[in-house]
Amino acid sequence: MSEMGLSRRKFCQLAGTGLLAASRLARAQSHSGSTLTAREVVARIKKNVGVPWHTPTADEFKIGDPDAPITGITTTFMSTLDLLERSIVAGNNFVITHEPTFWSAADVVSDVRDDPLYEYKVNFVLKNKIVVWRFHDHWHAHRPDGIFTGWNKTMGWENYAVPAANPFSHEYVIPETSLEELARDMQTKLQTRSMRLVGDPKLRVTKLAHAGHYIQQCMQALPNVDALIVFECREWEAAEYVRDAIASGQKKALIQLPHEGGEEAGMDECARWLRTFVNEVPIKFIPSGDPFWMLA
Amino acid sequence: MITSQQLIEQIQKNVGVPWQSQRSDGFSDGILFGSSETTISGIVTTFTPTLDVLRKAFNSGKNTIICREAPTYSRGERAPLFWRNGPAPSKELLDNDPVWRAKQEFISKNNLVIIRLFDNWDARQKDGQLRGLSRALGWDTFHLARGTGEDTYDPRNVYFRLPTTSLNSFAEGIKKKLNVHGVRVIGKPDSSASKVALTHGLLLVADAERILREPDVDVIVTGDAVEWEAAPYFQDMVAAGKAKGLILLGDEASEEPGSGEMAEWLKGFVTEVPIEWIPAGEPFWVLS
Repeated sequence: MSEMGLSRRKFCQLAGTGLLAASRLARAQSHSGSTLTAREVVARIKKNVGVPWHTPTADEFKIGDPDAPITGITTTFMSTLDLLERSIVAGNNFVITHEPTFWSAADVVSDVRDDPLYEYKVNFVLKNKIVVWRFHDHWHAHRPDGIFTGWNKTMGWENYAVPAANPFSHEYVIPETSLEELARDMQTKLQTRSMRLVGDPKLRVTKLAHAGHYIQQCMQALPNVDALIVFECREWEAAEYVRDAIASGQKKALIQLPHEGGEEAGMDECARWLRTFVNEVPIKFIPSGDPFWMLA
Repeated sequence: MITSQQLIEQIQKNVGVPWQSQRSDGFSDGILFGSSETTISGIVTTFTPTLDVLRKAFNSGKNTIICREAPTYSRGERAPLFWRNGPAPSKELLDNDPVWRAKQEFISKNNLVIIRLFDNWDARQKDGQLRGLSRALGWDTFHLARGTGEDTYDPRNVYFRLPTTSLNSFAEGIKKKLNVHGVRVIGKPDSSASKVALTHGLLLVADAERILREPDVDVIVTGDAVEWEAAPYFQDMVAAGKAKGLILLGDEASEEPGSGEMAEWLKGFVTEVPIEWIPAGEPFWVLS
């Protein structure tokens, strides 16, 4: 099914029959008088995040008019075209995204300016009066790290986290289980489809650590745990490292999540947090979802 | 008799392009571990020298391993490349790491020689990685540059036309043929696939843009994609109706057949010792 095509068609039909205008009117009335802008929301975020605002930072407006009144806020992992479409259907034109909009860490527009896809996405955003702001660096810098707070809640692991001096160390002691059972539980709770594993499915695991995306963290964390959790890590780093650990006789495993599976839940937490100081407009967490599907 | 240094010289003489001794952002091609004076007893080519591959090489009487990826879990970047991968582990971290130490001891105890051949192999006029993958898939006859007088496996000739099928069936066929488990797909399973671009390794956005300038490409098949770069780029391409699918085989699965090609190529000018391709194999399994 052409999700985009269908919903765009639906959008046009609604607009044609005036239903969309009516629903917009209803929303405007239900939040009558709100002139809240994206810029004002960001000012409140800066005031509430609890750490000094650093520059340069990725946490900036990426596109849209920050000074126009907003209809509602969507928090998400990735501001894909599909997500922006779903945000508009939900009535929210302010999107707070953890990851980039224009396919590079710093949203470098000069690299993609001549790409027809860039033009398509920009036109879609402007036509629908969307504003996109990225919330990455300072949500991680929040104490505790907002992304891991959300992940722990979604997994139900708040009480299993090991207090650590290093804020980038996220270790857990969970009730003993097998690698395969743990992976199934994680797949269900994180609603992920593209998890990949290294290690004996029957391996007993109780100590785990997030090792981020890179080999250095893997090397620092593996000696203390039964299994590492990475959310996107190049194959020649974590996967090869853990399989050599196993070949050398260690009882270890790797759970490789998609990047989304490690961080999307943190934007659900972001929505909960925003509601404590933004009440003029609705706030909804809309998952951008696992980008990949796998074959049965 | 041939030494590791003589082998390197043979490779340099036959590679057909000026030898690049050091790429600015990574390890150099050449001997990473072992002595240049070691007498070679046999050669193993592989995607990555895992401890398992090293044991198999040693057990088959071959002391020299020619690999694409380095044995130390890193591409050795001097400066991180946009954090697509991590910086190389520090010497201190690596020297004290029990996993690396076990592998390093196996290498030194058995006087193995580890030779990296990546950048110069890729600089050749013929893309050996692509040819290997295409032949492993059985796609030689579907190559669109076949019979055009051009060298079929010029690195720019990445387009194939296969019998039309759904994206799901198409990906299923690849998975079975290569016997790989962790195939990841972006796109609608029932969209039709016929014209395909086949590449290998890590696909960047600039690569995808260049490849998709060719009209009517339904699907790109490659190794991996950065999940804040080419992966969402493709999600957006699909949402905008501009392309149908991206199939990620995994790095090892997409690059390993190229090591088979390399073994065949080496046999053309190294006749003193046995040469064998030992696949490292896919590192992952997935839930059924």
